Amino acid sequence: MTPDDLAVRQATYRLFVQLGQAPTPAEVAALTGIASEAVPAAWRRLHDAHALVLDGAGGIRMLNPFSVVETPFVVEADGRRWFANCGWDAFGIGAALHVDSTIHTTCADCDEPVDLDVRDGRPTDPGSVFHILVPATQWWSDIGFT
Amino acid sequence: MLVFRSEAHVQRWLGDRSPGTTIPITKLAELANAWWSDRLSPDWQPHIREQNQAILDRLGLTGEFWRLG
Repeated sequence: MTPDDLAVRQATYRLFVQLGQAPTPAEVAALTGIASEAVPAAWRRLHDAHALVLDGAGGIRMLNPFSVVETPFVVEADGRRWFANCGWDAFGIGAALHVDSTIHTTCADCDEPVDLDVRDGRPTDPGSVFHILVPATQWWSDIGFT
Repeated sequence: MLVFRSEAHVQRWLGDRSPGTTIPITKLAELANAWWSDRLSPDWQPHIREQNQAILDRLGLTGEFWRLG
């Protein structure tokens, strides 16, 4: 990862948290001093390095643990509402922001709501479980499925 | 990577699917804290595989299923 790519990555995350939506290349360029035209190529290299995830059109889909698009994993944290890519990432949003959070999702089996308050990094109700279907070597084979 | 109300719900959902692995939600929270807490740091650097593997190992998430490569 080049210093410019790292700067684009840092600016993209920072702007996402500030704006609550994926930044444009122009916004990243303004923050980094890197040419706007160079930002999409940097995003592509970051995607290839698993530092973020693009959609099929080259737009930002995931800034893990954050999801740029709506998902069934909703997280209230730091006075805002965020979307996570999966249960793991849902806990990751509070961890990344270093704040308490509340996770709203549903049981994948029965579709009943599962609401989890996370205080000091720990769920206050330890009753739920988490299932990972594919082994670690395959997590990035299809990150959307994972 | 899915959340279930209990292990019984996992088993019912799996049906004929090949199972992966189930961990308590408390272990997931520990994993998320270790994995993501530096993500917004101004000093963030990409994790190399060995760093990530060390996180899993430290949390007792060991065995072939948890090998990153």
